[in-house]
Amino acid sequence: MDIYVALLILFGGALVAFFIDDLNRRWTGPVALAFALAAAVAFALTPEGQHFRLSILGFDLHWQQDAAARFFGWIVLGLTVLALIYSVKYMEGKARLGYFYAAFLMSAGGMLGVSVSRDLISFFVFWEIMTWTSFLLAIYNAYYGVETKGIKYIIFSSIGAYAMLTAIVMAGHYYHTYDIADLWQAGAFSFRNHWYIPAFLMLGFAVKAAVVPFHVWAPDVYAKTPMSFTTVFSGAMSKMGVLGLLMVLTGLYAGGGDGMFWFRWILGWLGGITAVVGTLQAIRQNDAKYLLAYSSVAQLGYIVTALATGTRLGLMAALYLAVLHAAFKGALFMVAGAVEKQAGTTDFREISGLIKRMPWTFFVALVSVISLAGVPPLGGFVGKWLLYESLITETHSYFLVIVIFFSSTAAFLYAYRFLFGLFLGQAEEEIKQVKEASWWMLLPMLVLAAVSIVTGMYPGLIFKPAADVLAGWGLPVPDWHMSILLNNWGNGVDLVTVGSTVGIVFVLVAIYITLKGRKTTKWVSTKDISTSGEIPSPQDNLTFQRGFFKPFERAIGRLYDWDANGIWEDLGAALEAFFGFVRKIYTGNAQTYALYVIVFLVILLIFGAKIFS
Amino acid sequence: MVISPVHYIVAPLAAAFLIPLLNKLYDDAARVVPGIVLGYLVVVSAVLVPQVLHNGPITEIIAGWRPPFGINLVMTPFSAILALLVSFMAFVIWLYGFRFRRTLKGGVVMYYEILQMMMTAGALGIILTGDLFNMFVFVEIAGITAISLAAFYRDRDGAEAGFKYMLLGSLASVFLLLGILLLYTQTHSLNMAQIAERMPAVAQGVKIMALIFLLVSLGIEAEMFPLNSWAPDAYSQAPSPTSAAFAAVLGVAAVYALARVSYTLFDAQSVSMFLMVMGFLTMFFAETAAIAQTDLKRMLAYSSMGQMGLVMVALGIGNETALFGALFLIINHAVIKALLFMTGSYFIYNNNSKRLVALNGIHKRLPYVSFLFSLGALAIIGFPPFSGFWSKFYILSGAAKRELLPLIIGILAITIVEMTYYLRVIGRIYFGKEETEPASHKPSINALVAMTSLAVIIVVLGLYPDLISGYLHKASMFLLDKQAYIQNVLSVK
Repeated sequence: MDIYVALLILFGGALVAFFIDDLNRRWTGPVALAFALAAAVAFALTPEGQHFRLSILGFDLHWQQDAAARFFGWIVLGLTVLALIYSVKYMEGKARLGYFYAAFLMSAGGMLGVSVSRDLISFFVFWEIMTWTSFLLAIYNAYYGVETKGIKYIIFSSIGAYAMLTAIVMAGHYYHTYDIADLWQAGAFSFRNHWYIPAFLMLGFAVKAAVVPFHVWAPDVYAKTPMSFTTVFSGAMSKMGVLGLLMVLTGLYAGGGDGMFWFRWILGWLGGITAVVGTLQAIRQNDAKYLLAYSSVAQLGYIVTALATGTRLGLMAALYLAVLHAAFKGALFMVAGAVEKQAGTTDFREISGLIKRMPWTFFVALVSVISLAGVPPLGGFVGKWLLYESLITETHSYFLVIVIFFSSTAAFLYAYRFLFGLFLGQAEEEIKQVKEASWWMLLPMLVLAAVSIVTGMYPGLIFKPAADVLAGWGLPVPDWHMSILLNNWGNGVDLVTVGSTVGIVFVLVAIYITLKGRKTTKWVSTKDISTSGEIPSPQDNLTFQRGFFKPFERAIGRLYDWDANGIWEDLGAALEAFFGFVRKIYTGNAQTYALYVIVFLVILLIFGAKIFS
Repeated sequence: MVISPVHYIVAPLAAAFLIPLLNKLYDDAARVVPGIVLGYLVVVSAVLVPQVLHNGPITEIIAGWRPPFGINLVMTPFSAILALLVSFMAFVIWLYGFRFRRTLKGGVVMYYEILQMMMTAGALGIILTGDLFNMFVFVEIAGITAISLAAFYRDRDGAEAGFKYMLLGSLASVFLLLGILLLYTQTHSLNMAQIAERMPAVAQGVKIMALIFLLVSLGIEAEMFPLNSWAPDAYSQAPSPTSAAFAAVLGVAAVYALARVSYTLFDAQSVSMFLMVMGFLTMFFAETAAIAQTDLKRMLAYSSMGQMGLVMVALGIGNETALFGALFLIINHAVIKALLFMTGSYFIYNNNSKRLVALNGIHKRLPYVSFLFSLGALAIIGFPPFSGFWSKFYILSGAAKRELLPLIIGILAITIVEMTYYLRVIGRIYFGKEETEPASHKPSINALVAMTSLAVIIVVLGLYPDLISGYLHKASMFLLDKQAYIQNVLSVK
């Protein structure tokens, strides 16, 4: 099957979904899902190494089904299909379903297109399609200040996209080709020739990957978009930035490897700082969605740092974490969506003790959080391990290791908060009516949780395609094994043994606790608070959910004063004020206008000889 | 009857004069006749454009006087495409307004139709004429009718808009006449080809002075900063189809005149810097002013000025790539901005208010119109896969060929400003909290056809730009080739 079939199915599906909503609102979701499934089948049937060339306006567009296209394409399509299964129930009864599904499918089409594009023009076209459709989804959840927050996303994205476009037209001028492989050969991405071409491209990709200081759009957008799309937004779309950075890195290697300084140090440190900033902000969020959103920023920071090493283990870590992040963060956003749908809110201060009501959701959350925290025996651990190993043994960036280590340790705090805040603790009366989410929603969540579990024992399942990507683009490839992690000292750990041992213990303990708990647990109401006859003042903290990490926040409080968001918002406000000032040139007074004309004429007549020489 | 370029001018002018008579015979003549005439012009274009593109320019002699003595019409590939564009857009705008104005009874409709026809005739005349003084006449015809249309609604705002336009428009005429006069004293000719031929002999000082007068004059018509201050009021106060026509008919003609004067009469090299700088300033001031607007039509007007600025930048860059982009952008601007004015005026019609705030949540009342407006907004920003992307890409590529990195960055930075206000409006349309629920006027069928056809053009040209790219390449090559123009006109027997 030809490579464009999957893309045509997605874009055609968008049109159908948009108009079918007017006929019958109940069909919209299933129809969109059917189209996504069809696209996945078409993509699977597209043989490896197939090219598709098309000439538009004399530009040779070139799409190719290669290892990289498969790798990123499956992240996109896998998450899209799962998120659409989830959407069937999650979006039930919401307004503008046609709008939602059309934008969803177009966005998926854009991302798939980015994955298969092997020339910069179609890359940019798909990139922009993906951007503006995702903007339409980012403003979907009511009109939450499109004036500032929603528009912030598109402005940042466009700064990045237009930096890319500048690089693209300049590359086209200097090298007379837009084909990525030819540009690699010509050394277009080398810093030696025209430094701004790789630099501007990297800027564009860094914005999409939400790297500091361009991360400020991400939290609001991830948290406010309908959760079923946030799954794709954070899981797949940010990976397009990773794909782009990998492309630039390939060009750097092909161009002789100069400019690695920029990559390894500037980008690596930006990634590290992103991880810390994201983590620290995630810790103090009181809303599960915002917590996950900041956590996404932090996780992307790890991936960018791993990629920036440019070494064999680092690149492997980046690609591995890219898949794992898609899996566990996708699952967690779905968990947040399920809680929102069933319990009405995701605010930790209003909700707790859902474990009894939503046990399956809790199981998914538990697995994903463990994977996110990078604790053995689940998949996330392997990625972290590779990242540390590459930083310590390959690039010797010990300070960066400390930063990453700090961030991933602090991540335990928010990981715990997420689990505890939503599921543990005591259940209020209001929670008692909450039911488990529909199986339409649970199924994709369980699939994603299974990814974390399976890769914990068989990381080779991801190593193999990742190694193909690296080999296909001529990047260094590490040795890998299906389920054994080797370290530099020659010791190996068999992950299957570890995984199955921990798994068996977990199941036994879980059974024991459940059985024991049935008989002995005594329940008291959270409202049953003894104040020894004193009436609590409004300032007194009566619920454990407020000020959860207050001591921690107090300890590092100073760090929170550096608010990048504030700086950008001030800049935006200053620009708007400036524009408001500039528009006063158009005074509305006809005499002034006539004066402008005369003055302009006189100036031209005086300086004409110089201007028109 | 043989089809010739003269029909472009004679048919609408004749129709304009005959409408009052015909209206005596048949009540609806004023509304029907323009459609027939403009439809005929589209057919004329369909016949002439391929002819011009394959066999080269047509030079039409009027009243038997050969150039350089008589008035002649020159249909080069460049002007042929614009003539097609203008007649097609005028037709679509007529179609759009066909039933819209049934609310206005009696003579008013007739006056509107007459003025609109004359404006179209003037615009087509500017595009087709090969004679400088003749061009002045057509600029006057188009200008005066445009001023009357800006003041069409006889209220305070309309009068103010008309007055501002008239003040600047009369300055434009005076300067244009002065420029022509200067050229005539030096070259003793009014024929553009002959002037261009004799130009090298003209003293540098006089040449520049003439150039300045022509540039300022045409700059006023083509909305160049700081001469464009008439535009926001005029666009905003004119009847809605006229606002669309200002962008799609008058703007096209003005840019054509600017290009013809810069490229054929004078030397493109010497005007290059001026056009780039002024075009960029036009973009900057127009788009930054647009972001601060609270009124939909004024916002669209400022956005129009911004687009014209980008066209000027492209004309200034002046290589074949950029001119291709400029021509593509002229087409896009005409189509997309017309679509935006058409859909926008349905919003205004429904809200009885031009204010942006009134657009909140309007998509529930006008889902299809909102969809088309959003499509147009995305297209004019230049998001792929719509046609606006390719024109912008070509202009940027042209700038890259001259290694004008700061210009590229500047254009893109301003595009972000443009994007901001358009997307805010889309946000409002779909997600704004509704405040009022006025009665709903659904679009009439003819307006739907008009708007849909424009939207289809935007999408089709975006996905398959090669449909017209061959013609545009030929046209932009021809604009660059000054000698070919001179020879073609002067060799006519």
